[in-house]
Amino acid sequence: MKHDTPALYFSRELALACDANGVLVEADARARSVLGAEPGTPLVRLALPGTEGKVAALLRAARGSAVENWELSMLVDGMPQTLSFSAWPAGEGRIELIGLRLPALHTTSVQQLNDALAEVLELTRESARQARELVEKNSALERAYRELDESNRGIVSLHAELAEKLETTRRTAEVKGRLVANVSHEFRTPLHTILGLSRLLLDGSDGPLSPEQLKQVGFIRSSAEELSRMVNDLLDLSRAESGKVATRIDRFRARDFISAMRGMLRPIVSPSEGVSLVFEEPGADIEIESDHGKLAQIARNLVSNALKFTERGEVRVTLTCTDDELELTVRDTGIGIAQEDIDRVFEEFEQVDGPLQAKAKGSGLGLPLSVKLAELLGGRLRAESTLGQGSTFILNIPRVHPEAREMNSLESRELRSDAAPVLVVEDDRKTIFLYEKFLALAGFQVVPARDVEKARKLVRSVNPSAIVLDIMLEEESTWEFLGELKRDPSTSNIPVLVVTVTAREQKARALGADEFWLKPVDPDRLLRKLKSVARPNAAPTVLVIDDDERARYLLRKILHQSPYHCVEAANGPVGIQVAKSLRPSVILLDFLLNDMTAFDVIDELKADPRTRQIPVVVVTSHELADTERERLTAHTQAIVPKDHLSRELAINRIRDALGKAGVRAREESGGTNG
Amino acid sequence: MSLPPTDATPEVDLPTLQRRYLAAQLAGDRARALHIVLEEGLAQGVPAERLVASVIQSAQREIGELWEGNHISVAQEHSATAVSQLVLAHLFHHASRAPRNGVRVLIACVEGELHELPARMLSDALERAGVDARFLGQNVSADAVVLAARTFGPDVVALSATMAFHVSALRRTLEVLRGALEPCPLIAVGGRGSAELAPYEADLIVSAATADEAARALLEVVLRIRAGDVSEAGIAG
Repeated sequence: MKHDTPALYFSRELALACDANGVLVEADARARSVLGAEPGTPLVRLALPGTEGKVAALLRAARGSAVENWELSMLVDGMPQTLSFSAWPAGEGRIELIGLRLPALHTTSVQQLNDALAEVLELTRESARQARELVEKNSALERAYRELDESNRGIVSLHAELAEKLETTRRTAEVKGRLVANVSHEFRTPLHTILGLSRLLLDGSDGPLSPEQLKQVGFIRSSAEELSRMVNDLLDLSRAESGKVATRIDRFRARDFISAMRGMLRPIVSPSEGVSLVFEEPGADIEIESDHGKLAQIARNLVSNALKFTERGEVRVTLTCTDDELELTVRDTGIGIAQEDIDRVFEEFEQVDGPLQAKAKGSGLGLPLSVKLAELLGGRLRAESTLGQGSTFILNIPRVHPEAREMNSLESRELRSDAAPVLVVEDDRKTIFLYEKFLALAGFQVVPARDVEKARKLVRSVNPSAIVLDIMLEEESTWEFLGELKRDPSTSNIPVLVVTVTAREQKARALGADEFWLKPVDPDRLLRKLKSVARPNAAPTVLVIDDDERARYLLRKILHQSPYHCVEAANGPVGIQVAKSLRPSVILLDFLLNDMTAFDVIDELKADPRTRQIPVVVVTSHELADTERERLTAHTQAIVPKDHLSRELAINRIRDALGKAGVRAREESGGTNG
Repeated sequence: MSLPPTDATPEVDLPTLQRRYLAAQLAGDRARALHIVLEEGLAQGVPAERLVASVIQSAQREIGELWEGNHISVAQEHSATAVSQLVLAHLFHHASRAPRNGVRVLIACVEGELHELPARMLSDALERAGVDARFLGQNVSADAVVLAARTFGPDVVALSATMAFHVSALRRTLEVLRGALEPCPLIAVGGRGSAELAPYEADLIVSAATADEAARALLEVVLRIRAGDVSEAGIAG
């Protein structure tokens, strides 16, 4: 259109004329420029290819009469465009046409509308697609949810089942525990009377006995002792099974252990019987770090079994060590055990039937208890035997108890640079391990110190970020240590966490003991204990509060020969009154009074300033539950242990407790250590 | 509105429906046109593809003929087409669809081609057949097709040239696509413009009576190629 005049450019109309055959005979300037129309070309040639039909139709229609608004698609500038034509017959078959280009505005606005519509429709489709996807995802989610719900239900019901079973098991264990505790108490009370009185008789405190009578009383006593041992075994087994037994680990030499065994077990061998008990000397100098009390218990059980079932020959005990594993064997030349019975002997209350077995009655508890003890030592017990030839019982335990090993590694561990060190002054291994776990989680490293001496050294060398101090560790010295820390400017800023009695059994031991002095009270022990507390002035009085007449009798008898004055009270209220008026040096309080509980007595005593400072020793024949023990340890100065191995510890504790109260026995030989 | 099962035998008189639909179209009565297709058609159990073929496509053919006979103007034709566009959009929303089969098809009208309804119907039919179909609209330049193909990654590019006139644009687009896409997806062509091509010029020349037939034919080819039944070379429509 570049070369058109404005008139041509802006005008919308064009004029054409065709002959009777539809061939162009005239085309005005516009037609020529817009359509490229030339006379001589058939009109149909101008049509958009494919739309020739409509052009022909127009020509046909216009032959007869005038036609208006006949739209044709034609090529304008090579682009399809719609033009509106009017046509009429002009004589002799000639057709004249006027064509009108539709306003551009019209077509563009229609186009724009189309575009807008297309966009909107596309958006609608898109949202429809997304809605579909959502529905599909939803149903998949719902399916997954249903499956999850089902498996959840399964898990919940499983949980409920488990909880139920757990509850049943717990209740059963509880009942069993209480049963055992009660039984043992019931057995013990008369037992301790027999033991105590027979001792008195043997001592001749009320006059001498004839030799025959001495023998008889001796038998009474040994029977009672054996019975006592069986009751203890039962109790031990029960406690071991319910996990209430603690291990006390220390270092000892195999040689020392064997000689101690020799001494302890010689009495039970009857020389007339023709069976010799041989302890082989351990070859190498082996140092063991384990609970030697339990090891001794196992050895004693195995040896007494072996002796029981051997008529002639020998029982040989050997202790060897290979690769840090200890092996204790007890080999006998006795009746042996049949292969099919070997497993059964380890079961509770099981005994193989046979003439010799019938002769040697046992409680049937020794071996199962030994198995349990072996486990506590980190090892195992097994048996080998040939019927008719003899048996060998083999105990294997680690030379260094796993707990001790862990403790050793903890102590010898090198300081890391990335975690702040915390000095833990604590002697109980389990507690240290606990600290280790929790403090490690918080990014600290635990540096253990088992005593105040070590703690002093480590404070200087390690320079800890904090100190956890068990104030009951060594009582006076720990307080002193704390004082030192605070007075010294170089350590006064280290935060010190002071730990006192907690709700744990091991913690209670820090106060003195976690076990209780069982009746019968061993007179030597009692005297030794009292002797160790020295006081220059008044005669120390011991107040015994016990509703059992026999128990009081025994204690009175024991103390009769001693410098201590014994006062008795048959029940709690009387005992309290006596305590308040008399102010004894120490009170021996029976745990199981009939009218008042020991707790109530202690509460009363502690509440009154007159009696608050009097040391209270709880004496009991009852196995206490943890909660009871906790309460006690909070109030009592000392709880005396029954295990003779910690007697020294107990004695020291009591001495300290009494010493703190300023009590000293009148007769003191210099520096007695009980 | 709930969808009835598509295999229900409709008692609906489709020719009458179509006549009434066309009347509504030409009158510009969108609401009535929608009602006829959705309520009197789809809701009565007539499957969407029957409605598209027997009502909408059929009406569209008539509209062409009407213009041919100069009974309607181009403006009327445009507005009638717009009504069908709307109805198709609604059908898309309500019609049932086969589960997705993972096949992707890109559809475009070649440059200059403004008749987009046939291509739109093919696109909708493909979606009903479970295909992921993307429609680029009318008058799409070859470069725009290339760009879309690169991002969408179709199995097939379907080019529409409704008018015979647009065969050159079609040829140009084919050339550009083959040159620019490596590997080149299957190229299908349709419309009167495609009839002008020689068989070798495109991979697939689609000529079917209805959009759904065309969609199914396309899908089948793709699935057979995927299954390894045929090679990509030498497929005729």
